[in-house]
Amino acid sequence: MTFKKLKRTVALFCVSALALSALSGCSKDPTAEDTSGNANATATGQSTSGKTFTYAIAGDPGNNVNVITTSDRFGLMTIKMIYSPLLMYNADGINWFLAKDVEVSDDNLTYTFHLRDDVKWSDGQPFTADDVVFTYEAMADEKNGGWAYSQLVYDQGTVKVEKIDDYTVSMTMPFVNASALEMLSNIFIMPKHIYENVTDFENNEFNMNPVGTGPYVMSEYSAGSYVKFSKNDSYFLGTPDIDTIVFQIIENSNTAMLAIQSGEVNAWIGTPSEVQQMKIEENNLKTVAYSEGRVGYLMINANRIKDEKVRQALLFALNRDEMNQACFLTAENYETPWSFIPPGNEYFTENVEKYEQNIEKSKQMLKEAGAENLKIKLGFASSDPVQQKQAVMVQEQLQKVGVTVELAGGDATALSNAMKDPNNEYDAYFGGYIMGIDPDTFSSLFESTAAFNYMHYDYPEIDQLFKQGRTETDPEKRKEIYTKVQQAIQNTGCFYPITSNKRILVISNNVSGIEEAKLVPVYTFEDTSKLKMN
Amino acid sequence: MAKYILKRILTAIPMILIITIICFTLIHMAPYDAIDSMTNPKMSQETIDLIRAKYGYDQPVYIQYIRWIQGMLGGNFGYSIVTHQNIADDLVARIPNTIKLVLPAYLTAYILSIILGLVAGSHKNKWQDKLIDGLASIGIATPTFWVAMLLIYFFGYKLKVLPILGMHTIGLESSFADYMRHFIMPYIVLTLGFLPDSIRYVRSSTITQYAEDYVMVQNAFGASKKEIMFKHVCKNVLLPVITKLGMALPMLVTGAIITETIFGWPGIGPYFIKAIQSMDYPIVMAILVLSSTLVILGNLLSDILYCVTDPRIREMG
Repeated sequence: MTFKKLKRTVALFCVSALALSALSGCSKDPTAEDTSGNANATATGQSTSGKTFTYAIAGDPGNNVNVITTSDRFGLMTIKMIYSPLLMYNADGINWFLAKDVEVSDDNLTYTFHLRDDVKWSDGQPFTADDVVFTYEAMADEKNGGWAYSQLVYDQGTVKVEKIDDYTVSMTMPFVNASALEMLSNIFIMPKHIYENVTDFENNEFNMNPVGTGPYVMSEYSAGSYVKFSKNDSYFLGTPDIDTIVFQIIENSNTAMLAIQSGEVNAWIGTPSEVQQMKIEENNLKTVAYSEGRVGYLMINANRIKDEKVRQALLFALNRDEMNQACFLTAENYETPWSFIPPGNEYFTENVEKYEQNIEKSKQMLKEAGAENLKIKLGFASSDPVQQKQAVMVQEQLQKVGVTVELAGGDATALSNAMKDPNNEYDAYFGGYIMGIDPDTFSSLFESTAAFNYMHYDYPEIDQLFKQGRTETDPEKRKEIYTKVQQAIQNTGCFYPITSNKRILVISNNVSGIEEAKLVPVYTFEDTSKLKMN
Repeated sequence: MAKYILKRILTAIPMILIITIICFTLIHMAPYDAIDSMTNPKMSQETIDLIRAKYGYDQPVYIQYIRWIQGMLGGNFGYSIVTHQNIADDLVARIPNTIKLVLPAYLTAYILSIILGLVAGSHKNKWQDKLIDGLASIGIATPTFWVAMLLIYFFGYKLKVLPILGMHTIGLESSFADYMRHFIMPYIVLTLGFLPDSIRYVRSSTITQYAEDYVMVQNAFGASKKEIMFKHVCKNVLLPVITKLGMALPMLVTGAIITETIFGWPGIGPYFIKAIQSMDYPIVMAILVLSSTLVILGNLLSDILYCVTDPRIREMG
């Protein structure tokens, strides 16, 4: 290539670059004018497609969702839009969807569900008991690797699901389990007539064109950008008010913060410190804090600090109120848990050792145990601003009783993976969980032999109590048992519940019906059809 | 020439293989895997083991590697462990978006940097040089995500003249004007990001050329400044600059990861970042192999360009 040729090419590039910028220059102005009306265009909706509600989510759910295999948060949110379960079991109790009610047999083993007979799949086929049996059997099938496998399959056997007639299904537990109804809930039903011959639920052509019974139908998916849903006019709980719901994917939370303030999106979940930086009222927004039943904790590794006295002494040196105020700013953003059960749960009790800060007592106990000048290694997720603050505060608070804390920050998943190892190198660590409603769902964290017993303690009496509680059906007696469990766990000195923080939904002022739609863990809205927009 | 290219391509194959082995080993040395990042205490150990076995995680690493490489050779990039999406489809949907953003930005930066670099280099230590070089230094020290946030804050939020998110307003996918409004901010950020590096490259090679003897000879013959610049220096400066073009090939995939993530541009960036966060190794591996292949191809391309443009090298080869 000669130089002349090159010069020509360069000139050509320059010209096209100029043209490009000129083009963008002129296209900017005319559209800028209607931005004033358009800033809320996504909010108030385009004239052609009616009302549009845009919800910012932090990850791509993809368009290959399946009720059996999808288990990530954004995938499940998508599932919730297009499918319905028999019932939802959340902190506020039971909400019926495809089932109308349940009858429990006298031996407390068989649960008979009466199904709605007025439901149609989005392709017009009627919904029947066959779909329910089909879905639950697929979920309990080992080879499908379904997310709720362990809710249906136990050491004692598998839940037996039988069709009684077209609109009645019975499910028989292998043993008396007080939390059975919760175990059978939140499983979304897929259409048998579509998936009948599918062998791989994870990847198949039907996942991309889902046929559901949910309030919305997936109408468009743009990889990495958004998922668009249009309303299902024949939704069995009434036609939704909002015509189109869009899940807009925004990975960067700073961008999301500005996007919701500029009106490009209508709803987003933020952290207290992010929300504090925002101009909520000025931008016609409101915030709603709701509980996910999460418990954030500090756990002490009993394999490393073997003396119960020392562990208790350490907990007496801590002050959770200080930590919560620093991390969550105002009392609206969190509740204070006193045991492993989140506040608001009917089994929650305050009648436990709360370890309210008592420096003198702590010093005294450490002295008695001969553990002065203790050094401990504290693990925390360094990418989590809350745990960062908590770690520094624990270090400061323990300093006052003469305990030196080494801060060991690391990747969150790597840390929780290390915590599972009984011989891990940490003396204490932060973490959090969202379990179910029934207190038995917490046993996978707190039984001595449980896979997620991060404290690595060994207390047969706790295991015994959990066992009793699982099979006890009398509510009063159960309550008594779980009060004892909570007391016993607090007495181990291994577990220090710090916070039950809420999620903060930032949402446009013109969206109403949030209370009717119900804010719930994972899915955000229990029933999006109840949301309204003016 | 054809023989030379063939030879280069053949040597590239073992290199790519070695890269895949290194990547695979590194990913498996991480303290957790994709399944760990998916599990929660609600799942029983049995369920977790079932899922683990389903993806072959219960097998030794070398068997996992062989399975994976077999898939790759058969054109099967595999499926995401987290979302179960087909990776090849995902990449096909996203790479064009990245190219649409990176290519114009890179070309703009390329042309501007040649002009500015030549101006700076030919006016060494004069005000033009100090200004351009100073700005380039500031540019190198400025993180792109910061520039991006500033632009978003002023144009998207304060003035509300430009949309903040994505590539299109939903429902206006076919509107070019709408696309341009979304395009302009990330385009500026990327151009500014690519620019300083190239300016300094062109500037320093211009300065080197001006120090050569032939410039002194031309001066002695009384050639005009313009003549020296365009007839002699420019030619020699542009040669290495052309090779830079070839090496920019992998940029088309991985050149805008941060910018894309901030603007919610549906390209490779946010996809890659999410995959790394959740240790979704089939995606990470696919992108790594793709970009390392492009690095090797890019180098090959720039060698070929060099041969084509410089007869001296062609004769040597």
